[in-house]
Amino acid sequence: MMGPLYKLGWFDFAYSLQIAGLVGFLFGFVLERAGFGDARKLTAIFYLRDFAVLKVMFTAIVVCVLGLLYFSLFGWIDLSRVYILPTYIWPQIAGGLILGVGFVMGGYCPTTSIVATVSGKLDGLIFIVGMGLGSIIFAELFPLLRGFYEAGSMGTVRLPDFLNLRPGVVALLVCFMALCAFSAAERVELVFGNPDELPKGSRKLKISASGVLIFLGLILAVGYPKALYEQKPVTAPFPSEEKESITLQQNVAPVEKPKTSHSFKIVEDEGC
Amino acid sequence: MSKRYTNPYVIGVFLGLVLLFAFYTMGRGVGSSASFSRISAFGMALVAPEHTQTNAYFSRYFGSGRSPLMAWLVFLSLGAGLGALFSAFISNRIKGEVVRGPAIGVSARLWLALGGGILSGFAARLARGCTSGQALTGASELALGSWVFMFCIFGGAYATAYFFRKEWL
Repeated sequence: MMGPLYKLGWFDFAYSLQIAGLVGFLFGFVLERAGFGDARKLTAIFYLRDFAVLKVMFTAIVVCVLGLLYFSLFGWIDLSRVYILPTYIWPQIAGGLILGVGFVMGGYCPTTSIVATVSGKLDGLIFIVGMGLGSIIFAELFPLLRGFYEAGSMGTVRLPDFLNLRPGVVALLVCFMALCAFSAAERVELVFGNPDELPKGSRKLKISASGVLIFLGLILAVGYPKALYEQKPVTAPFPSEEKESITLQQNVAPVEKPKTSHSFKIVEDEGC
Repeated sequence: MSKRYTNPYVIGVFLGLVLLFAFYTMGRGVGSSASFSRISAFGMALVAPEHTQTNAYFSRYFGSGRSPLMAWLVFLSLGAGLGALFSAFISNRIKGEVVRGPAIGVSARLWLALGGGILSGFAARLARGCTSGQALTGASELALGSWVFMFCIFGGAYATAYFFRKEWL
């Protein structure tokens, strides 16, 4: 079956919420397994003692980047129907910097605070309360912030478009960058970290896994046709996705149905 | 109380597969900050319905005719809570406590958690996503802004980590 299943009409909204519950369950489960319910474990990366956050994130990104490209290569997913987060460069830079400060100050990021709260950490719960307040503050200030919120709009720009490289080459570069980051992180950990708490792992296994990654990346770099990536949907299928914010409020009453043959519609899609 | 956590690379592989599953089934990635925003909007609408529904930002959650809580990310966050609870339970890691370094008191830590939460909640709305919805999901899609965002998170945190060292070390 070609994916994404939902956008091709395989199931309806109610069923998608059950999928959400399942994805969330697995997501929360693996984060807790990694120890991400503990603020000291999370913030240790900022004191160069434990780079678990970086290792988990970059490994997940590498797996998913390769996975998406291979899926599309095999015809299992239609990448043109995957919702790509649009780039608004200035608010993303500012938001990233503030989120970073919030992370080291509060000890969590939004998802990990859920993990912390359910494992009994009061500071995680307080962090969640803070996030609710922060959202309300943002919403109340939105009329003032709107100009900045829309600033630097570049549409859906992907790295291959931006760097003018083939997607497979970018995937290979991502693999390479991740491996360099892992190697550097492990060296730094040895200097600053606590050797008893650092994860152990066989060097042989790591080297073979790195070899496999580079190999998979190389195949994509050579064999992934650029045309497959640039396929645009024939009709703009889901108008509400493209301009998530402003247009949506202005025609609140009659939400236009997309003029496609599918019998479902996506009411709203948001980045996060 | 078991501190033995799974190897981060193994976790990363599983997390990547979960994300891939979300892309395959739904055509979108994961996320969580929007669910807090939606819950706030829902709570505010109970107190001041008109004010919330005409709010320039929150009004988007009410346009669809559904409750603001009937959303993909809200259910995903609920699931995440259950999954984490299950994992913490089977490893015997559920314990009421305030996570902090030895050099800081409980109330100072909680105020900082509140402050960090406010900054994060605000920043996630500004950037249209958080570490999972913007950085993890967007980076997997090779979205330019998400990569920039991810490096800015690390930049902001490393730049200010020195000032919070007494909270953690």
